[in-house]
Amino acid sequence: MRALSATLASWGVNIRIALIALRTNLLRSSLTTLGVMIGVMAVILAVAVGAGAKVTVEQSISALGSNMAIVFPVPENDGGRRTNERGRLTERDARALERQVYGVRAISPQLRSTVQIVVTGRNATTSNIGVTPGYSIVTNILTQSGRFISDADVRTAARVMVLGPTVAKKLFGEFDPIGETVRLNQIPFTVIGVLESKGSSFGQDNDDLALVPLSTARARISTSTALGPDDLQALFIGFEDGVSLTAAKREMIAVLKDRNRVQPGEINPFTIRTTEEFMQESSRVTGVFQMVLVAIASISLLVGGIGIMNIMLVSVTERTREIGLRMALGARRSDIRNQFLVEAAVLCMIGGAMGLAAAAGIAALFTAYADFAAPIGFGVSVGSIIFSAVIGLVFGSYPAIRASRLSPIEALRSE
Amino acid sequence: MATPLLEARALVKAFELGGEVVRAVDGVSMRIERGEFVAIMGASGSGKSTFMNMIGCLDTPTSGQLLIDGIDVATLTGDDLAAIRNRKIGFVFQQFNLLARTSAVDNVAVPLIYAGVGTSERRALATAQLIELGLGDRLQNSPAKLSGGQQQRVAIARALVTGPLMLLADEPTGALDSKTSQDIMGIFQDLNERGITVIVVTHEADIAAYAKRRVLFSDGHIVEDAMVAQRRGEGS
Repeated sequence: MRALSATLASWGVNIRIALIALRTNLLRSSLTTLGVMIGVMAVILAVAVGAGAKVTVEQSISALGSNMAIVFPVPENDGGRRTNERGRLTERDARALERQVYGVRAISPQLRSTVQIVVTGRNATTSNIGVTPGYSIVTNILTQSGRFISDADVRTAARVMVLGPTVAKKLFGEFDPIGETVRLNQIPFTVIGVLESKGSSFGQDNDDLALVPLSTARARISTSTALGPDDLQALFIGFEDGVSLTAAKREMIAVLKDRNRVQPGEINPFTIRTTEEFMQESSRVTGVFQMVLVAIASISLLVGGIGIMNIMLVSVTERTREIGLRMALGARRSDIRNQFLVEAAVLCMIGGAMGLAAAAGIAALFTAYADFAAPIGFGVSVGSIIFSAVIGLVFGSYPAIRASRLSPIEALRSE
Repeated sequence: MATPLLEARALVKAFELGGEVVRAVDGVSMRIERGEFVAIMGASGSGKSTFMNMIGCLDTPTSGQLLIDGIDVATLTGDDLAAIRNRKIGFVFQQFNLLARTSAVDNVAVPLIYAGVGTSERRALATAQLIELGLGDRLQNSPAKLSGGQQQRVAIARALVTGPLMLLADEPTGALDSKTSQDIMGIFQDLNERGITVIVVTHEADIAAYAKRRVLFSDGHIVEDAMVAQRRGEGS
């Protein structure tokens, strides 16, 4: 018990000695601390930005629709085997999938093209999607004003249009566009609704689109001659909550293979992607992104650590006489070593705390001005301080051991 | 016969200097009993300081044997030597060697840190020692705010605070004026009268005159070792 309290007391003394030494060379200590501070700040921000990116990506994906699969009429790119064959996906395929695959909540067959929409004096280039009412269910979107495309609109190939908020604003400003007429390829369309905003995903504006009935798009807009009369460019399928997308994908592949008479060994003329896969891929990508960031940031921490080592070597050289004196007064080699280790660790921990504070400040600015959350967790905070101390101990150990190996008399004689 | 405090047997310290071997201390044998007041004299380069460093366990002999309090120092580890420097020996230096920007009390308390004494006890012991040396009103002063004589008193307090058997002083008055030098030597005499063995290295005859025994070094050998009449100091 006495030995323990003596040990603790000697650490306390070492910390006091360290603080005196650091205060003595305040400018030098500050500059060295700055190196560690920048390093720790960089690492914390890298972790936080990586975590923030992950959250943002996940939000972007769930903005697409939570439990969803997308089928494209694009031949599968399977392990580098490429094919020039055209893919195929028809409305009949879509209906077959809706009927035969377990857990389908709604389907949204789509035709897509880029169009220019005109009103008097204004125009907007946007992506036009021919859809059915299922689009609203699958992508989980409602109109903020007016109404969505109905089954009747699709049946009659009505010349009606639902605008995304971005397009509505471009064409009409703050003016309510419901009931107004816009022109697309000289054809007049009546605006029946404006979608609610879905923000942006991966830097793309989710609100920059205009929806028309699928049948109308097929008859009047789609200019692609390559398309058959029944062909689709994309099929979104929404599933009930709790349905396994992996199982659903397997069923979908089986249905489509059968319908397309795909022989064993042949490449599927369609590609299916699920939100689950997007999530996995993007978490892999953001994971790599975060690792790269942290690796780069670690370099600055390494540089900071080298700065610590450098300054501790200088400190040992400058205080050689003090080391000799302490040895003459009874300091063991371990006492001298600990004194300099504590000094390096204290220096680094001060830098670490400052780095943490700076990182928190910058993260707050990100959140306030860039609308990008860069969360700094409690674990990261505590970890960064401990990690700083470890940096100090690692980079301080060589100078400290060098100090402890000095010969008492030579140290005492030095100037 | 009691164990001598210090016994050197054919002590040698050799350095290599520019390819040549220089024997700074060349086969010195001597005994110092408890309670002695010894002045080690000699010109610079005579080996007196090297001898002093060896008996202070700051330097290791090249050959020969050194017994402190009956213990052969060659058998001791680095930590053992540190403990001897801490508890059995008190050092006083020419340049005082106080820690700058550190109060007198904290300076005196340094050896107690390495003795494993707790904070409050350290303060109490250091304060008592300073009061004894007449510096009770200078406890919180840093060395920069003390005169040379006061600094050397702080250094003596530091040397005494662990209750050592002997005081080793290397040119303790080298940086002081003659009046202050007399004070310091007087303090050494008082301490000696209270039973502490004092060994002073000096090249000044009038400083050596305060000692009871004078040992003269020349070219690494003892050329004279005699009891002398002690001059009285005007210390505390």
